[in-house]
Amino acid sequence: MHNNAFFHFLSLLLFKQKNKHIGAIFISVIIIFLLSSVLFISSSLQKSLQATLQNQPDFTISRLQAGRAVDTPTEWIEKIVQIDGVSAVTPRVYGRYFFAPNENSFLIVGVDFFDEQSNRSLQELMETTDLKSFFAMPSMLVGEGVQKFMSAHYYSDSFSFKLPNGSFKKVAIAQQLPSSTNLIANDMIVMPLELAKEIFAMEEESITDIALNVPNDAEWDTIVGKLHLLFYDAQVIDKREISKAYKSLYNYKGGLFLILYLITIITFMLILYQRYSMVYSAEKKEIGILRAIGWSIQDILKLKFYETLVIVISSFILGVVLAYIFVFIFDAPLLQEIFLGGENLANSVVFVPTIEFGILGSLFLFFALPFFASVLIPVWKIAVTPPKEAML
Amino acid sequence: MNEVLLSQEVIVYLLSESLLFGLLFVAFIITPLLIKRWNFDAFTQEQFRLENRSYLVMSIVFFVMALKILLLPYFVYTIDQLSDIVPGAMCGAGIIKANGYGNPLLLLKIIILFLSGFWMTLNRLDLEAKAYPYTKRKLWFFLFIFMLLSIEFALDILYFTHIQTTNPVTCCSVIFGQMGGSNALFLGLDTPMLLLLFYLLFVLLVLMLWSKNSLGIIVTSLLFLFVAYYSVVYFYGTYIYELPTHKCPFCMLQQEYYFIGYLVWGLLLVGVFMSLDYAISRWLWKRDALRLRNFALWALSLFVLLCSLFVVVYYSKNGVLL
Repeated sequence: MHNNAFFHFLSLLLFKQKNKHIGAIFISVIIIFLLSSVLFISSSLQKSLQATLQNQPDFTISRLQAGRAVDTPTEWIEKIVQIDGVSAVTPRVYGRYFFAPNENSFLIVGVDFFDEQSNRSLQELMETTDLKSFFAMPSMLVGEGVQKFMSAHYYSDSFSFKLPNGSFKKVAIAQQLPSSTNLIANDMIVMPLELAKEIFAMEEESITDIALNVPNDAEWDTIVGKLHLLFYDAQVIDKREISKAYKSLYNYKGGLFLILYLITIITFMLILYQRYSMVYSAEKKEIGILRAIGWSIQDILKLKFYETLVIVISSFILGVVLAYIFVFIFDAPLLQEIFLGGENLANSVVFVPTIEFGILGSLFLFFALPFFASVLIPVWKIAVTPPKEAML
Repeated sequence: MNEVLLSQEVIVYLLSESLLFGLLFVAFIITPLLIKRWNFDAFTQEQFRLENRSYLVMSIVFFVMALKILLLPYFVYTIDQLSDIVPGAMCGAGIIKANGYGNPLLLLKIIILFLSGFWMTLNRLDLEAKAYPYTKRKLWFFLFIFMLLSIEFALDILYFTHIQTTNPVTCCSVIFGQMGGSNALFLGLDTPMLLLLFYLLFVLLVLMLWSKNSLGIIVTSLLFLFVAYYSVVYFYGTYIYELPTHKCPFCMLQQEYYFIGYLVWGLLLVGVFMSLDYAISRWLWKRDALRLRNFALWALSLFVLLCSLFVVVYYSKNGVLL
C-alpha cells in the first residue's frame, strides 16, 4: 500500500469522523492540562528556590541546648574566623515579630551593615542602599508582603514595634526588597543588628546564629568537622542540606498529587475503553468493507494505531500549551495557593518559565501509555472483523 | 513513608511498567491455547479464531516492546533524578548500587530489549510469509521472554522499594575510580592495550559485517560491546568530562554534559543490536537483511567516531592528552 494514499485516507477519516473523537480529546486535554500545570508550578518553584539558595550563606551555626536552638555567644565569631578557608563570617539576629498575638508575623533579620555579607543578594542590596540616610534614623528594608500589610494598616512610611518591656520603637521603612526574592523574603524585614536586638530584647553578647561562606566546595566537609570540634554544642547546617530538604518537599507535594491522580488516570482508562468499544463497534461495516477490498488485519491495526497516535499527540500538545499559558502567563490563579500557602502574609509569585524535557517525557508516558493500553483491545476486536460484515 | 516512591519519575515509571505487564499477562493467558491448537492447515472455525487471537498477542507484544525501548532511557533518567534525594549520590551510579537489585535489573532490561528485538524480526518474517510458518516458534519465544519480563517486573518493584533515603550511597568516583592503584580493567590490560583492542575489534566487526559471517558477527559484536563499555568508562569518558579522574558511565547522562551519554550508549546498543539481529536472521531464518546491516554499520561507525572526536577536540583545544 502506498504510504501517501494511506495517510491521506487517515486524515480524511479523522476529519470526516471528528465527532467520534472529540469527547476523548476533550477529556484528555483537561487531564493533561491539570497535571502539567501542577508539574510546571512545582518545577518552576524549585528552580527559583534553588536560584535563591545560591545566594544564601554556605553554613549557619547556632548553639543547641537540650536539643533546642538558643542564643549563640558572640565570642564564637572570633574562634570561627581563625579557621582557614572561611570567609564572610556574619553574626545574624532573627526571629518572628507578631503583629498581634497569634496573628500575622514578620521575620525580622538583623545584619551588620558595615560587614561583608555572607548572603550575596543582601550584599548587592546593601551596595545600592544610601547608607547615610539609612542610618540617620532607625530604618529597615521590608519585603513586598510586609509593605502591603503595613500600608493596609496605615503604616505607610514607618512602623512602631512593641518591645517586650511595653515601650514602642518607631522604625522608618527605607526601601522595599526586590520582588524577585518574594519566595523567601515576602514576610521579611531587614534591619541593623543592634536595632533587631533591641526589638527582641536580646542580651548584648548574644546573637541568633552565625553565617559563613566557604568558597572552596572541596573544603566543606573538613570545615564542618572543624566546627564540630570547636564547639560541642553547635548545630551546623549547610546549604546542601537545605537544598535537599526543599527538593524532597516539592518532590513530596508533586508525588502526592500524582498518586491521587492515579485514580483519575484509571477512571480515564475505563472511560476510554468503554467509549472506544462503542465507537468501534459502530464501525464494523466500514472495517468489513476495507477487509473485503483487500486490507489485511495488519493494515487495519496500522490505521487504528495511527489514528490513536494523532489523537494522543494533538491532545497532549494542546493540554501542555494551555497549561503553559495558564501557569507562566496568568501565573496560575488558584493552583498557586496549594504550593505557596497563604496562612501568614499573602504572597504572590511570578513563575519563571522553565520547561524540562524530563517533565514533558514523564507527562507523555503518564498519559499516552494508559491511553494506548486501553484502546488496544477494542482496536484488535474491530481489526479482526471478518469481511462478511460488509454484506450485512 | 518512602520518599523514593513519591518521586514523580518513579511513580510514572512503575505505573507504565505495571500497565505493560498487565497487557502482557493478557497475552500470556491466551498463548498456551494458541500453541496447543495451532494448525494452519486446518480449515475450522477454531483455527480462524486462533489466527485472530494471534494478532492480539502480536499487537500487545509489539506495543509493549516499542514502549520498553522508550522506557529504558526513562529508567536511566529516573535513576539519575533520584540522585537528588538520596544522600551521597551524585549520579545514577550510586543509586543503581543502592541495593543488590539494581545492576541485575539494568542488565536484564538490556537483554530483554535485545531479545524482543529478535522477536519483532521473527514476527515480521512470520507475517511476510503467507502461511505463518514461524507462529509456534514465535509464541514459545514469547513465553520465554514473558518469563524474563516477570522477573524484571518483580525486580523493578523490589529495587525501588529498597532504596533508602537515610543511608548514604557511594559516589561514582568511589565505584569506578582506581582505589589504591589496583587495576580496574579486566585481564590486567592497560589503557593503550584497551584502545588497541577497541579499534581492532571495531575493524574486525566491520569486516565480519561486510563478509556476512553470521557466527563471526555474533562473537565479535558481543566482544565489542564488552570492550566498548570499558573503553568509554575508563578512557573516552574522561575526555567527555575533561577530567582524568572522572570515570563514570552515568554522569554523562546529565545536563552538564548535554545529555551526550544517551547518544553514546544509544548508538552503541543500537549498533550492536542490529549486527546481532542481522547475523541471527541470516543464520537462523536465511534472510539477508541488507538494510539492517547498513544501519548497524552506520550506528557503530558513528559511535566510534563520536568517541574519538571527544579525544580529538580535547587535544586540539588544549594541546595535551589527559
